[in-house]
Amino acid sequence: MTTAVKPMPRVPMLVKVTLYLRLLAVQGSWNYESLMGTGIGFTMEPALRLLPGGRGGAQYRSALARQSRYFNAHPYLAGIAVGALVRAELDGEDPARIERFRTALAGPLGSVGDRLVWASWLPFCSLIALGVYGSGGSAFAVVGTFLLLYNAGHLLLRAWGLRLGFRRGLAVSSGLGNPVLRQGPQYIGSAAALIAGTTLPMALGRIVGPGRAVAGGVIVASLIGILVLARFREHAEGWRIALGVMSLFVLYSVVR
Amino acid sequence: MSLLDALPLALLGALLGLDVVSFPQAMVSRPIVASTLAGAFIGNAGAGLLMGAVLELIALDTLPFGASRYPEWGSAAVVGGALNAMQEPGMGGALPTSLLAALLTASVSGWSMVVLRKAIGSQLAGVRDDIEDGSRRALVSLHLTGMSLDLLRGALVTLTAMLILGPLVHAIVAVWGTEAGLSRSVVVVSASIVAGGALWKVFHSVPRVLWFFVGGLVISLGVMVLR
Amino acid sequence: MPIQLHRIDDRLVHGQVVVGWGQPLDIRFLILVDDAVASSDWEKDLYRMAVPPEMEIHFFDVATAIREHARFAADPRPGILLTGDIDSMQRLVTGVTAIGSVNLGGIHHRAGRSQFRRYVYLTPDEEAALHRLEASGIEVTAQDVPAARAVPLSEMLAEKETR
Repeated sequence: MTTAVKPMPRVPMLVKVTLYLRLLAVQGSWNYESLMGTGIGFTMEPALRLLPGGRGGAQYRSALARQSRYFNAHPYLAGIAVGALVRAELDGEDPARIERFRTALAGPLGSVGDRLVWASWLPFCSLIALGVYGSGGSAFAVVGTFLLLYNAGHLLLRAWGLRLGFRRGLAVSSGLGNPVLRQGPQYIGSAAALIAGTTLPMALGRIVGPGRAVAGGVIVASLIGILVLARFREHAEGWRIALGVMSLFVLYSVVR
Repeated sequence: MSLLDALPLALLGALLGLDVVSFPQAMVSRPIVASTLAGAFIGNAGAGLLMGAVLELIALDTLPFGASRYPEWGSAAVVGGALNAMQEPGMGGALPTSLLAALLTASVSGWSMVVLRKAIGSQLAGVRDDIEDGSRRALVSLHLTGMSLDLLRGALVTLTAMLILGPLVHAIVAVWGTEAGLSRSVVVVSASIVAGGALWKVFHSVPRVLWFFVGGLVISLGVMVLR
Repeated sequence: MPIQLHRIDDRLVHGQVVVGWGQPLDIRFLILVDDAVASSDWEKDLYRMAVPPEMEIHFFDVATAIREHARFAADPRPGILLTGDIDSMQRLVTGVTAIGSVNLGGIHHRAGRSQFRRYVYLTPDEEAALHRLEASGIEVTAQDVPAARAVPLSEMLAEKETR
């Protein structure tokens, strides 16, 4: 796609702030037909009022309809799409080109975001919080550490994405090559493994409770279970296994 | 538990259920936060935190891909944390039974998200022509309806779970027949297996991941020895 | 090791593919078969950004994919082949007899399509195309992520409801 450099359209700060706040609710009407599509339209709407003709004008209406169609992405990276699509609409790009771009952007934003956030940053922050718990931290310390750390990454990522999209417009794909997005999951994964080794024994020790060391049986049973689960990793859903085990254990403890 | 007692918890469950997907996804709905808040709400943040840590280990297994079906931990953690905090101190059955209640709630709540998404889809079908015509009113109304329904969903799930499972958990804890230490151990083994499996699933392809993990274990042992 | 999955998914490369299937199955390469994408440099650039550094991605039109399939099927590393629509997959299996099963991972709502699963919407023509695919000896199942049950085509079409 050729990317003619056009001067940045002027978007008032208030509109930018509104876009950011609406972005936090981008999945508010998530459904199986349009997935995140209507949320993208809802988020972009304040910026579309800047189109010639203003709110309710022909351009505004056709852009709003176009942007509310089927779309999906990782919610935290949806800002890249919102920013880029706002820029494309305000630049007056050809609607057919915008739609093709929109279709192609969805999958990559989902893939990159899922890897970086759900499969790296979130478990990393969970492990840190469990570490604070395991080292005897108070409820306030555990909750505060998790929320501050996690949301520092979360809110910055949303803001960065919106800005990147708006600056690059239809040429945003190069921004997805950012080292944080490409290599980040691997580095976070290494750190998470280190943190897991450090914090999980302490966290498990605190759950078992004071005065009772984690018995050898617990460790052996856990290790065997983990090995079995790792073997069937593509089919196993851990929470269902926990649900089954706890159901049987509760039944046993009641009837014995 | 009376309806009046359960209502404030339902409100908490509603807000944290909303956080899971709709707004603002700040992960206030993660079990380690939600369960602790629920425990604090009952007046026993420590019991909420304990349940939160267990559920957080189990929730490591859930990757919330938009379109797939997964358990909803926000409202479930409120139920688990509150129930664990409500039991008499020292009761061996409190943690396992409250955990089971939370897992059941997570499952039902995950299903309720599917129902909600279908309901929003039906709503969309009714206003699709207006949205295709660029109607701001139809779009904003659909979006706000979706968020309101999600809020209602979290409240109903939490309320129903507290009213049904609350008395059940209380009754089971009273007749619990397994020693407290063993009860905790079963919970720990279950949670650590799920967490270990989940972390392996996510991170096993990271280069030298086992070395990093072993390095962490060595640090952990060092800290324990020095304590 | 044969290609692990031949998947029809209109989102092509996204989180369910890269993380959902990619991580547990240790996927090392993706083959994206789409005539339009194969001839569009900017789209290929976008999809390259979607895969992690340790995963390769190859782009082919259907005709080239038919010629190249055997080479990838002989690759010892696990891989996934993706098409964005039923038609591309149908043309592919016509040219490659080694494909024994096809996964429906995501065909989303569009005017004229009815819902069969949360993530599968089909027009009557697409339904017929899937029937033909199955009649030619290919096992067709719907499954979005590995932990979900693989639902056979006949069951999915018979239920025609949102599960």
